[in-house]
Amino acid sequence: MSEQIIIEIQGVEKRFGSFVAVSDLNLTLKEGEFFSLLGPSGCGKTTALRIIAGFQDHEEGEVRIDGRTMGEVPANKRPTNMVFQSYAIFPHLNVGDNVGFGLRKSKLSRKEIKDRVAEALEMVELGGLQDRKANELSGGQRQRVALARALVMRPKVLLLDEPLSALDKNLREAMQLEMRRLQQKLGITFVMVTHDQYEAMTMSDRIGVMFAGQLKQVDKPEVLYSQPCNREVASFIGGMNFLDAEVMAENSETLEVTVQGFGQMTIGVNPNVQVHDKELLVGVRPEQLEISAEKPEGYDACVQGEVSDVAFYGESVHYYVRIDGLPESIAVAVPNYFHTVDHSRGDTVWLGAQSASVIDLGKRETLGGDK
Amino acid sequence: MTKAFRIPWLLVYVIAYLVFLYLPVLLLPLFSFNDGTIVAFPLKGFTLKWYAQLGQQDTLLQAMVNSLIVGSVTALMATSLGLFAARAYVRYRFTGRELSEGLVMLPLVIPGIIVASSMLVLFISVGLKPSLTTVILGHVFVALPFSVSIMKSAFDDFDQSLEEAAFDLGESVVGTFRRVTLPIVAPGIVASLLVTFTVSFDEFVLAFFLSGNSPTLPVYIWSQIRFPAKLPNTLALGSLLLMSSVLLLLIAEYFRRRSTQSSD
Repeated sequence: MSEQIIIEIQGVEKRFGSFVAVSDLNLTLKEGEFFSLLGPSGCGKTTALRIIAGFQDHEEGEVRIDGRTMGEVPANKRPTNMVFQSYAIFPHLNVGDNVGFGLRKSKLSRKEIKDRVAEALEMVELGGLQDRKANELSGGQRQRVALARALVMRPKVLLLDEPLSALDKNLREAMQLEMRRLQQKLGITFVMVTHDQYEAMTMSDRIGVMFAGQLKQVDKPEVLYSQPCNREVASFIGGMNFLDAEVMAENSETLEVTVQGFGQMTIGVNPNVQVHDKELLVGVRPEQLEISAEKPEGYDACVQGEVSDVAFYGESVHYYVRIDGLPESIAVAVPNYFHTVDHSRGDTVWLGAQSASVIDLGKRETLGGDK
Repeated sequence: MTKAFRIPWLLVYVIAYLVFLYLPVLLLPLFSFNDGTIVAFPLKGFTLKWYAQLGQQDTLLQAMVNSLIVGSVTALMATSLGLFAARAYVRYRFTGRELSEGLVMLPLVIPGIIVASSMLVLFISVGLKPSLTTVILGHVFVALPFSVSIMKSAFDDFDQSLEEAAFDLGESVVGTFRRVTLPIVAPGIVASLLVTFTVSFDEFVLAFFLSGNSPTLPVYIWSQIRFPAKLPNTLALGSLLLMSSVLLLLIAEYFRRRSTQSSD
């Protein structure tokens, strides 16, 4: 990844009637970056992608790609290509003609087109399938053809609209790694839209999390995980226990807080949080809590509770622990090292938390739909 | 339950229904092979002479040519209009879409005689004499609902991102239409051409009012029915028309099905 800027989006806004699909979108992407727009359906992420592609006009703001202001430049004149959610494989053409579709307009000779198509198919591991008919392709192959058809154009930016959502789980995970490898090899900027947090986390250099038309946070996956800017983002990336806390004292780096149920702790200030209130919201990841029958040693805060539910996931076991004075059970995820489920419903257990794993989420907001 | 004999009423109904519907139609070819001028049982014997005589009648051949011209031009015009209208109806949400769609479909339910007489009045008042041109205009009007509905079903299953993908790959709007839209809806276009041709070829009322002194085949048949001696010829001609219509519609249906299959 270079430091060269490839896409600059400034103050872009898109309204459909009175509905604001994308509001004040600002984003700068670097050359060779794998960027994901992550959010629930209807959050405006696909609209944002279509604005970059040139399929969607916008009311305000500006999009610059490779230093050029896009303005009225139509999609067929932009240095971007797209992989559609449905893959949009032309049903009347074979694989080779599908991949070579865009090259017909170029000044390349027949031979050069043939070579470029072969090279592109080789790249997505479909070498030699030029003559295969479109309706004879499997889901995974269609995805690869769509990828090759876009990459053969050598775009500055490849846009991907939920590219893996039509595939089954195993194929999807294999394709995640493969697409990531391909992107790194080619050094092309990929912009992917997805609602799948794991897909976004495993593939992207950076992720932009969108809610209701607004880009809430843009960061590396590990920062989104450890320092989400608010409750919405925290609940969309991984699992999170939300707890009310009260700020007793604060300085520029730490907060002295009393966490509901867990008591007094000193936690780090989250740099992504804009407003700190005395009424604070904090979060603890289920996988960062200790659970044991005896009071655990060496933890900054310990609390006793009763197991209300156990869920066995195979690679991990989730315990839900009811603690006096807390409105909701606390979720604890334990890696399944020894093929055992150690606690069962009704057991009295201890929870241990390190203050370093308690995340400052800023002021409390009343939001619908947590977890 | 015991296996007592029960009358399969539903089957009886189906058979009675089919006999009532199609037996009269089958009488037409039957008598066209009958060696006698009177259309009545018993049959006199087998002959092909009524068919052989058809080729020698110049007015009939002229009427046939008229019908082929009207049918082909109508099919082309109605299908082109239907193609663009259907794409707009399926793709875009605009004010008046439903109203316009309803108006296009209206000829299906307006009595032909009303359409025919009002068109005649209209054409004469704007100085257009009854001719093949006026028949074509009338036929496009009645054929349009058929072509719009066939083309709509072709576009219904057409993934819009196919056109976007072509445009995204650098193709122009016209090029996208030519290289992606047309080939994919081509079976629908063929189906629409065949159906609208058949609609026009068989149409009588409008042609009767609007054709002036260049009759189409149905109008010619009507004029011949008054002469008992010509009746067997008319039956032979009618049988030929019947067969070709059925054949055309079968081919059209084949293409229509292909158009809905190919697009997913």
